[in-house]
Amino acid sequence: MTALSNVKVLELSERVTGEYCGKLLSDFGAEVIKIERPGVGSPTRRLGPIKSGVAPGEGSGLFAYLNNNKHSVELDLTAQHTREMLERLLDRVDVVIDDHLPHELEQMGMNLEALAAKRPRLIACTITPYGQSAPQARRHAEDLNVFHASGWGYHTPSAADERLPPLKAAGRFLVSYEAALDAALCIVAALYDRESSGLGRFIDVAQQAVMASRVDYVLGQMVAGDMDVTPERTAFDLGGPAGIFRCRDGYAYIWMSAPTHWQGLRQLLGDPEWMKDFPEHWLELECTPERVALCRKHIAEWLSTQEKEKASEAAQKLGVTLVAVNDKRDLLSCPQYAFRGFFTEIEHPVLGALRYPTVPYRMSETPARIAAPAPTLGQNTRTYLDLDRDDAASAVGRGERR
Amino acid sequence: MTPRGRGGPLEGVRVVELTKVWAGPYVGKLLGFLGAEVIRVESEGSLDVTRTYGIKDINNAPGFHAVNPEKLSVQIDMKTPRGIELILELVRRSDIVVENLRPGAIKRLGLGYERVKDAKPDIIYVSMGMYGNEGPLSYQTGYAPCFAALGGVSALVGYAGQPPSGMNVRYADSTFGTAAAFAAVVALHHRRRTGVGQFIDVSAVECMSSMIGDTIMEYMLNGTVPGCNGNRHPEMAPHGTYPCRDGEWISIAVNSDAAWQALAGAIEGPSLQADRRFTTLAMRKANEDALDAMIAAWTANRDARELEEDLQRRGIAAAKSQNSIELVADSLLWERGFFREVHDASGRSRNIVGPSWRMTREAAIERAAPRLGEHNEYVLGEILGLSAEERRRLSESGITR
Repeated sequence: MTALSNVKVLELSERVTGEYCGKLLSDFGAEVIKIERPGVGSPTRRLGPIKSGVAPGEGSGLFAYLNNNKHSVELDLTAQHTREMLERLLDRVDVVIDDHLPHELEQMGMNLEALAAKRPRLIACTITPYGQSAPQARRHAEDLNVFHASGWGYHTPSAADERLPPLKAAGRFLVSYEAALDAALCIVAALYDRESSGLGRFIDVAQQAVMASRVDYVLGQMVAGDMDVTPERTAFDLGGPAGIFRCRDGYAYIWMSAPTHWQGLRQLLGDPEWMKDFPEHWLELECTPERVALCRKHIAEWLSTQEKEKASEAAQKLGVTLVAVNDKRDLLSCPQYAFRGFFTEIEHPVLGALRYPTVPYRMSETPARIAAPAPTLGQNTRTYLDLDRDDAASAVGRGERR
Repeated sequence: MTPRGRGGPLEGVRVVELTKVWAGPYVGKLLGFLGAEVIRVESEGSLDVTRTYGIKDINNAPGFHAVNPEKLSVQIDMKTPRGIELILELVRRSDIVVENLRPGAIKRLGLGYERVKDAKPDIIYVSMGMYGNEGPLSYQTGYAPCFAALGGVSALVGYAGQPPSGMNVRYADSTFGTAAAFAAVVALHHRRRTGVGQFIDVSAVECMSSMIGDTIMEYMLNGTVPGCNGNRHPEMAPHGTYPCRDGEWISIAVNSDAAWQALAGAIEGPSLQADRRFTTLAMRKANEDALDAMIAAWTANRDARELEEDLQRRGIAAAKSQNSIELVADSLLWERGFFREVHDASGRSRNIVGPSWRMTREAAIERAAPRLGEHNEYVLGEILGLSAEERRRLSESGITR
């Protein structure tokens, strides 16, 4: 039995953030009905990575990853006569997820809050860059913009060179995934409550707030007046010698903040001369820029002769927090990932057999499970709209569009 | 003092936190923001470093305050058998246990899953570790930037042709905490329907890989492992941060040819709009160095905020890269109640970082982080039902203070 197998979700989302939220629920067995634009499908079907030489809209590895386990229903939400079908679907589900920008929904003639208000048991969740009350000056945003509006961008990377531009987050969709996590958390909490209260909820997740909340340890001190609030790009930083260093076969990251790390490093390096000039507690109490630079220089020299995995293994055994900077290949060959079964192979009708990343939580009673590959466009239209083929084609709005 | 019901979807849920630093406490913070009663069990002999870091007054530690609003604190000496008994008594009356101590530490304390499950068979037990609870590398430890490095995140952040620089050093703990909180509530929902609790084993490193799932798919599908590329994006151009007046920066993401036409109109007008180097995404990608240089020259003497407003009016995804002053002053974040005021037991007010969400019938969030042992009387007296005499004896023997 999976944890959410009694839950039906309607997904109106057309971006990564809402689709990932749906995925987080479908991982636990929620039945997710994904509404897609007739004929073209979700815009994520056209985002990379794309397998070439296959039918357009069916070759996206991104779409496949985000939409495993889901059901695809083609329905034109912009057509007036399909609105009744949407209403009927809403009557049948427990949760609706949407990630259109507020003004996009308006243009579609939709008011999710009003649709939800008519259904007191429904849990409606929207995920948008700045929330439902976003001002005019914040109508348009991609992940990059939210990352920079949230404070993360300006402070990435740490120890920034002020002449170089501040950076985006890792990959394309980190902000989207982060926001989806908060949304999924709120949705499941609301489902839990509904079991007893019988009442749904309207949930408004703002990506900017999600990202800003991820640095609460720092931002909380700033907003309370306990930490300097400055325009420095290093305002979130910790200082010290920690950082990424080049190795023979890639890069490694070393963290050092406590005397135990320093002692471990001494053992690891065989008590070298240069360490003898450092006070034992310098990391905590006397962490001067000169010492940091000297320490970094020696670590860099040493690591440049090492292999990242071997160095990390030796270091970890001595209590030194040195780790490899892994790339995607390393993840695939990581014995710990293999042990936990982080990757799972799925046979997709178009993409073939591929290994997919799964989830970071192993659950003893209700493990997450990919039961079916992502649907082809409209694969489940008839099932959910309860129509025969000809009617379905016209009802979903295909006729008008073509 | 009996804490009042605060509403919210998790009202009535009790969480026991055996956590340290940031990732574990973040779980309790999120659950508390959803209405759960979150009790941090603290042991005077091994205080959380955030209570002591750089400050003498453990009840006024800024870092602790930042991640622990609305929680309760009970001080129980975990090094004593009686202390462990008390914690197990508390667990019997709770729904969720969260721990993120060093590998093996919780078992050595006598509070591992098996022991806790004996005390409370339907407990939801959330164990958080860098690599998870068991397996060939589970002995390894690290801090947030190690999670990001191991999970594949750091390798993707950096300037073209340079070694990776990674995300800001603060990234990872809170993401790890959120994933754990989500899994805990999924388990809670399951328990309500079936009566069955479970063990949840969360890996920080895998949380990081989940934040780059699509790039892992790219490798699976095409076998490519591209290095860092600054701010480039395969499906948008221009896509980056550009210098403005006074050392400020603006982020611009052109997500369609129409958006490019709007931007070209702002920069120059019809001649740039018609420039064949840039009309389609493929052309802009092919000429991206020239494109970025031109935009940077155009933004360089402009005011970032004014430019943001202008570009937004034209329908272009743009946002000033906000520094910490602007972030703390962001009026939208105050209006949403993201920044809000709470009060501590002595009535002093304090601003905190609240939840990212707004929802109907949300939980009240009004209290600051607790003093050490602030809720001993409530936890030991009301929840555990110990008499005043028993509580006095425990306190005198140093087990609870």
